[in-house]
Amino acid sequence: MMSDFGYSIARRVTVVAITATLLGACVTSRIENIREGDTGILEGEGIVIMAKSYHLGNETEAKFISCVGDSIGRGRTGLRVVPHTEFVDALFPWFEPRTAPAETKGLPTLMSRPGVAEMIKEKGVRYVVWLDGDTDKVAGGGSLSCAAGPGGGGCFGFAWWQNDANYEASVWDLDGLEDAGTVSADVSGTSFLPAIVVPIPLIARTQTKACNALADQLKLFIVAEEIA
Amino acid sequence: MLGMVGCAGSSVKLENPSIPEPLIAQLPLKVGARYPEVFDSFVHEEQVIGKEKWSIDLGRANRILFTQLFGSMFTEFSVIEGDADVRDLGLDALIEPSIDAFEFSVPSQSQTDDFAVWIRYRIKILDADGVQVANWPIAAYGKSQTTTFGGDAALQRAAVLAMRDAAALIILQMDKATGISKLGDAKNVNVEPQSDMPPADPDQMNLLTTAAKESNDE
Repeated sequence: MMSDFGYSIARRVTVVAITATLLGACVTSRIENIREGDTGILEGEGIVIMAKSYHLGNETEAKFISCVGDSIGRGRTGLRVVPHTEFVDALFPWFEPRTAPAETKGLPTLMSRPGVAEMIKEKGVRYVVWLDGDTDKVAGGGSLSCAAGPGGGGCFGFAWWQNDANYEASVWDLDGLEDAGTVSADVSGTSFLPAIVVPIPLIARTQTKACNALADQLKLFIVAEEIA
Repeated sequence: MLGMVGCAGSSVKLENPSIPEPLIAQLPLKVGARYPEVFDSFVHEEQVIGKEKWSIDLGRANRILFTQLFGSMFTEFSVIEGDADVRDLGLDALIEPSIDAFEFSVPSQSQTDDFAVWIRYRIKILDADGVQVANWPIAAYGKSQTTTFGGDAALQRAAVLAMRDAAALIILQMDKATGISKLGDAKNVNVEPQSDMPPADPDQMNLLTTAAKESNDE
């Protein structure tokens, strides 16, 4: 049978949980795309998701790249996504962080190298999507303290933090050797951690939201041909 | 890919490394490579002040990497053991790679999630007469995030990427920086070896410049 102390704890937890649910973690997002050329993808053609080179200062997280690739390839409308490592290994050393072309004007030279165009055709890669950007904690505050003793323990306080996820995807058409355009995702999320005895984390899934939004928009961008 | 084995604690080891088969046209040269003893067992340690010690054991990784690399770059390649006189080997060129420096940083040093590895190799090239014709320093860099692979695996991955970076740089820049392809021509027409060949351009060590961009600028 539950003691008065137990009931008190349960009531507090319930109140905190309800309050936290009402407050919720808040996420705002803005997705934009700039089209430079016509797109479209045929059966058998695929895409590869790459991170811009860390030699150029890019900090895009590996798990974000995997997330975008998985999300684009998922579902009935999913595109064929060639695994990044398979593509880079097959074309070694032309897509290493040091050697990958930084601009589309380097594509004709790259494609003229022995075996490169043939390997890209063999892999069925029509588009290379270059990801740039990262998720950063931009603000935070509040205080939270926890204590434990012989009779139990608990936390009290309130903390919050804001993460901004800014990513840009440049789409290169390896068929036309041109820049097809860019899709960008700017997602901001504030997470809360209220605690009355028990901490109730309300986490804003900023990076996941950015991943899914960017992937959905990329699918539309690549599949949909622009109407002249 | 490179095969890797992680050890307990903060000590990691690379084993059985390999690079993908490069998509390149081979240079028509008969080349040998002579490796220093350190290519058979290379261990580097970093003591983070006030914190833990990290060590990485490359073992024979450098020997394996360069053997595979040069074997892909030249039509005829062999590893030269011992102190054989290069003039007796009938080679167009002898390559002597070495390690000038090896460094790495861990997240507690860089205040990021990244492990980073820097390797500075030196490539010396001798002609058929044993005269040094090039002395080319190259700097390679690899970086891997902790969150992806965990601590030990991230350091291994960063080392692998640095060695792969060196391989890519050597494939793209070696002939331009050392003029090694001319050694075959010099031997065939029996002309004086190019002992006055200029040293490698230090700008080629600039990690912020992609080779693809450089080739466009040519």
